[in-house]
Amino acid sequence: MIDEIHTLSGAYALNALPLGEREAFEGHLTRCESCDIEVRGLCETAARLALAVAEPPPAAMKSRVLAQISQVRQEPPVVPHPPMEEPVRATVRDNVRPFSRRRQRFTVGIAAVATAAAAVLGVVAVEARQARDTAELQGRTLAGLLAAPDAVVKKVPVTGGGTAVLVSSHASGRVLFASSNLPPIAPTRTYQMWLMDSGEIRSAGLLSGETAVVALARGDDRFGLTVEPAGGSDQPTTTPVLLTRI
Amino acid sequence: MNDVISLVPAPGEGREPGLEDLLVRVARGDETAFERIYDALSAPVFGLVRRVVRDRAQAEEVAQEVMVEVWRTAARFDPGRGSAMSWVLTMAHRRAVDRVRSAQASADRERRAVREEVAYDQVAEAVTTRLEGERVRRCLDGLTELQRQAVTLAYYGGYSYPEVAGLLQTPLGTVKTRMRDGLVRLRDCMGVDR
Repeated sequence: MIDEIHTLSGAYALNALPLGEREAFEGHLTRCESCDIEVRGLCETAARLALAVAEPPPAAMKSRVLAQISQVRQEPPVVPHPPMEEPVRATVRDNVRPFSRRRQRFTVGIAAVATAAAAVLGVVAVEARQARDTAELQGRTLAGLLAAPDAVVKKVPVTGGGTAVLVSSHASGRVLFASSNLPPIAPTRTYQMWLMDSGEIRSAGLLSGETAVVALARGDDRFGLTVEPAGGSDQPTTTPVLLTRI
Repeated sequence: MNDVISLVPAPGEGREPGLEDLLVRVARGDETAFERIYDALSAPVFGLVRRVVRDRAQAEEVAQEVMVEVWRTAARFDPGRGSAMSWVLTMAHRRAVDRVRSAQASADRERRAVREEVAYDQVAEAVTTRLEGERVRRCLDGLTELQRQAVTLAYYGGYSYPEVAGLLQTPLGTVKTRMRDGLVRLRDCMGVDR
């Protein structure tokens, strides 16, 4: 797998990796400098392919875009050592500020949820079994996960309604997310999953349906779910409806 | 809008200066700089999104979202990690692909894929209308058949590599490798300086 992962650089630059693999490969890039350099060159190359099919958009689009940006607040820049909010900064860096402010509120929630989860282990077992039935279709992932020596099963409520069960194992490098009765959202919105380590938040992909299996990188310790514009965002733009330790 | 050619450095040269500086100014809220970025990149963004999404109305919607996203997240652009053009077009490609992958049933996509060979011819045709396009075309022609199909199905078609492997009835490992060595050959042919 390790030898093989290098060969994914082309597929990654062409954005041809399925979501889980994309996240895993990005994790690999942070640890493999030569891969990172190669990928940058290949991404530049892929962009040239786009120039070859350039086509002027309708003129009206420009005025719409210009009108729109006058109403859109820009993201703040990444600041290496922000002076405020020390307790949060101790674990979360700069470019995740909008999310981390909220996280303080959610931290209390996480502790409560953990306790509640322990209290409802019976329910968790049932729900995990239901989740497994779904996951079986995706290749018995959950069965493998549950067998992992460090597997953790958690039941977490979702803000606005519904619940989620998360099964995570760092040894297997995966999290299974299974939800039920999530609040319906507009077709222009999507549920997006996030993984966080001590320094950053990265997308774990869009949630289509009720369950998903996402690749876990070493150091990931929290899982979040937000509602984002269709197509997803690079970083969370709304308050998470679920945030939990994994 | 016809500055497409000037965006691309000749082989051996460094990146065209300008767009990177403009994008840094956009991050500070400079709307004039943004307008220049728009003029320079909206055509490749729209053309690429349209190639992937196909539907013109949807492509317009996605391209518009991408340009607003450029404005919103310009502070994340790091000139040390690549060109402004690549940053914007990577975002555009992801948005387009997310749109088709979330919206389309896979059966539907597979049916559509049968016609993909035609799509390459169209690409080839659009390509010949531009100087830069000719270089890209020549470089594409320099690939093996399998390399070229793997690269164009993924990039212009928006297919994942397992989908490409299915379409080409070729093992997954081979497709991954062809995507990589195909792009490497293109990189060297186009004289990308990274």
